Amino acid sequence: MSVLDVRNLSVQYLTENGASEIVKDISFKVEKGEIAGLVGESGSGKSTAMLAVMGLLGDRAVIRSAQITVSGERPVPGKNAAMIFQDSLSCLNPSVKIGRQITETVRARRKCSRKEAEARAEELLDMAGIRNPALRMRQYPFELSGGMRQRVVLAIALACEPELIIADEPTTALDALVQAQILLLFKRIVRETETSMLLVSHDMGVTAAMCSRVYVMHEGQIVESGAAEDVFYSPSEEYTKRLLNDARGGSLSGYGHDSIENTAGGTGDIYGKTPVFRMEHVTKIFDESEGIRDLSLEIRKGEILALVGESGSGKTTAARILTGILKEDGGTLYYRGNELNRDRRMDAFAGRVQMVFQDPYASLNPCLTVREALEEALEAAACRKSRTARRRQESLPARRRMESLPAHGDREKEQMTEKIDRMLRLTGLSPEDADRYPRDFSGGQRQRIGIARALIVEPEILVCDEALSSLDATTREQILELIFRIQRKIGFACLFISHDIHMVRRISDRIGVMYGGQIVETGETKKICSDPWHPYTKQLIEAVPEPDPLRAVKIKAAPLKDSTGEGKGIERSGCPFAGRCGYALECCGEENPESYSFDGRGVSCFLYSDRHSGRRSSDYKMTSQI
Amino acid sequence: MLRYTWKRILTGVFSLFVLVTVTFFLVRIIPGSPFQRGGVSEQVVETIEQEYGLNEPVMTQYLSYLGNVVRGDLGISYQDPATQVSDIIARAWPITASIGITALVVSVILGTGLGILRSVSKRRWIREVISGGGMLAAGIPSFAAAILLLLVFSVKLKWLPASGLLSPVHYILPVTALALYPAAMIARLVGNTLDGELQKDYVLFARAKGLRTGRIILTHALKNAYLPVLNYIGPASASLLTGSFVIESIFTIPGLGREFVSSITNRDYTLILGLTIFMGAVVIIVNLITDLLCAWLDPQTRRAYR
Repeated sequence: MSVLDVRNLSVQYLTENGASEIVKDISFKVEKGEIAGLVGESGSGKSTAMLAVMGLLGDRAVIRSAQITVSGERPVPGKNAAMIFQDSLSCLNPSVKIGRQITETVRARRKCSRKEAEARAEELLDMAGIRNPALRMRQYPFELSGGMRQRVVLAIALACEPELIIADEPTTALDALVQAQILLLFKRIVRETETSMLLVSHDMGVTAAMCSRVYVMHEGQIVESGAAEDVFYSPSEEYTKRLLNDARGGSLSGYGHDSIENTAGGTGDIYGKTPVFRMEHVTKIFDESEGIRDLSLEIRKGEILALVGESGSGKTTAARILTGILKEDGGTLYYRGNELNRDRRMDAFAGRVQMVFQDPYASLNPCLTVREALEEALEAAACRKSRTARRRQESLPARRRMESLPAHGDREKEQMTEKIDRMLRLTGLSPEDADRYPRDFSGGQRQRIGIARALIVEPEILVCDEALSSLDATTREQILELIFRIQRKIGFACLFISHDIHMVRRISDRIGVMYGGQIVETGETKKICSDPWHPYTKQLIEAVPEPDPLRAVKIKAAPLKDSTGEGKGIERSGCPFAGRCGYALECCGEENPESYSFDGRGVSCFLYSDRHSGRRSSDYKMTSQI
Repeated sequence: MLRYTWKRILTGVFSLFVLVTVTFFLVRIIPGSPFQRGGVSEQVVETIEQEYGLNEPVMTQYLSYLGNVVRGDLGISYQDPATQVSDIIARAWPITASIGITALVVSVILGTGLGILRSVSKRRWIREVISGGGMLAAGIPSFAAAILLLLVFSVKLKWLPASGLLSPVHYILPVTALALYPAAMIARLVGNTLDGELQKDYVLFARAKGLRTGRIILTHALKNAYLPVLNYIGPASASLLTGSFVIESIFTIPGLGREFVSSITNRDYTLILGLTIFMGAVVIIVNLITDLLCAWLDPQTRRAYR
């Protein structure tokens, strides 16, 4: 008998305009001890179906004509079925200690004393790969890293002693390395506890790496199902083929990283030579572990430079120093080759950098219409210009000074409207949207507004700080494409910050890989991704599961125990990665390697030093040492 | 946390100083003298004023008063020279506080309970009755509520005594009149914040863990929902503890509020100032406790200050 057997499940949502069917008559099974996958784009009804299976749907949803059994019985949440959700931060109670959140689950499952429950909780945390469980039990969710929290959520699910665990996008919010660790952990847990798992994901790579049986869901229906090998190697449905094609990373390259020279108008000169902005040996240290150390990077005209690395690696700090939100502790900044004054940086630089923020809900003022938000940006830019002008005119008599300042006439107003319309069209919105408020838009549309607001003042550098990570997969894809298209069209420089190497690989021209507040490797995206030199880069790139079941089986993930937050103190001596590096030499623990550059590529690792590979002749061609 | 507390205490002392200063000079602006009565001659008033040092320059009076206050001496009442101001406070405040604290406890329990009920009840009429009743209770001014209660329960039905504080039964009417508004406000706040909390993912996850609804609300949602409520309870309890003139007058309770108003009509300078200082201190201390409690309840700030 199957562990989970769902037959003819349909779910309707009741809205003001009648009922809409989200899940349409689907049937699926999960056998004992297997990991089955349910894959599909967001909005395909996956999560709704899972909540229906668990019996956790809200009042507005109606389940019709379904037969759902877990080992022949009705599914009871917390007893024979448990569920893991995507966002581990929001599904743990922020003001209840970790230990309590586990022990209450243990005690809801079966009668036992507080002491026994605590012992069991420690055991579960240890199973979920958490070091020092007794300490973690006394902490609150916000004190744990994302990977650790997802382990806690798994421990809670295991505390239910379920026959079936439903995992709904469990690793989507995590970076590639942590994702690989968590996936490996899931596999081991399923094997050891003989639990069954249903893994819901939009990521074909994750599904390929984990599942032996796959169901493909599209618009509320299961369009294809079968053994993983069959679905991945010989898909029969068009939709499955499209998903696979997208996952193999085709779509963006249609715009052509190779044809950059053509799109940017003329020679390859524009891509490469002139740096718009450069920072050299910049250091900014916050109390203890966070910050950046001795960081040098340059953003060149018309390129997309990506910074990639796990959370806490200093990506955001670097961006904030670039935008002037933070002041560096030491180091020098250059704008077009001129050194920027630390205290009066804004004079020369203001308005030339614009930002797109991570949270499209929080970054737009709900009381301003789109037009007002864009006008505000334009006015701020005009204000800055006139301020500079005024400073120059300080010597002129007062009356003439007044006259020469820009006034708001009808013509200016008209020009502004025209500009706003053009910008909205460029970002895939329509001019009619200008008079609507942010609440009328979806997350993806809001992010388009955010992009329009940043670009309308014609900045030279656009900073996208995790601008896509709060969007769902389909929308993320659209916005990624949008940023790429506009960038190629207008040709501004772009600093694209993300923890998602998969996304970065597709959009950027050059990459800077960050670890522990330093850039450990830089270079052209294509070269770095196909042939990583730094041990960390290699781990990061290999951790991205490919949509290929046979190859993905070997996720060579790092340790099973979580290793985040170790050896990352910024004030330590030695290479930041030494503690986690399989190639660490003796000197790695004592000295910090400088950046060795070879033919446009920089790598901070002793494996590439003269000391390691001997003094080289000038025409020596460096290859990967790992 | 300790540094923050010290800073708050120091600013509190400073606020008290400003309060004393402003009140001191405002009181002197009130026309007339504390000793002016019908039938008392100008000369007598002048002699008494001289006796109390009121003929000296205002600045000198102010400084000597301030010196006394720092030494903990609030002076004697001008109306009743045999009693110290501190004695009046010591007599009146326990009465006010006993009603105030009872009203506070009642309104917190009642408000929280009704708020939870409003938020989670499946029956629509229960939810409607609670929000409607809450609106009504918050809308009626306390004197109207007090008179209405008095009319119905002691004059018409004769169930409850109308005045005095002789037995626990005497507390029922004034406490009800005092608690009505804060209870309605708390019910409203608890209901609204709980509605928001129950939408959150951790509640869904708690249901997936197999916890019962009652447990989810009491140990999970309420814990997060109570912070904004606490921010209301703080100032509300300060006003309950300093007494309400209206309620104390209607139910003839010899509390702080009544004392305060009569001291103003009598131009009893020292009593006005003494009561102001005392009430100000109560408000400042209660607000400090609330803020510390809020910071302590939020694990993020608690950890940050450790």
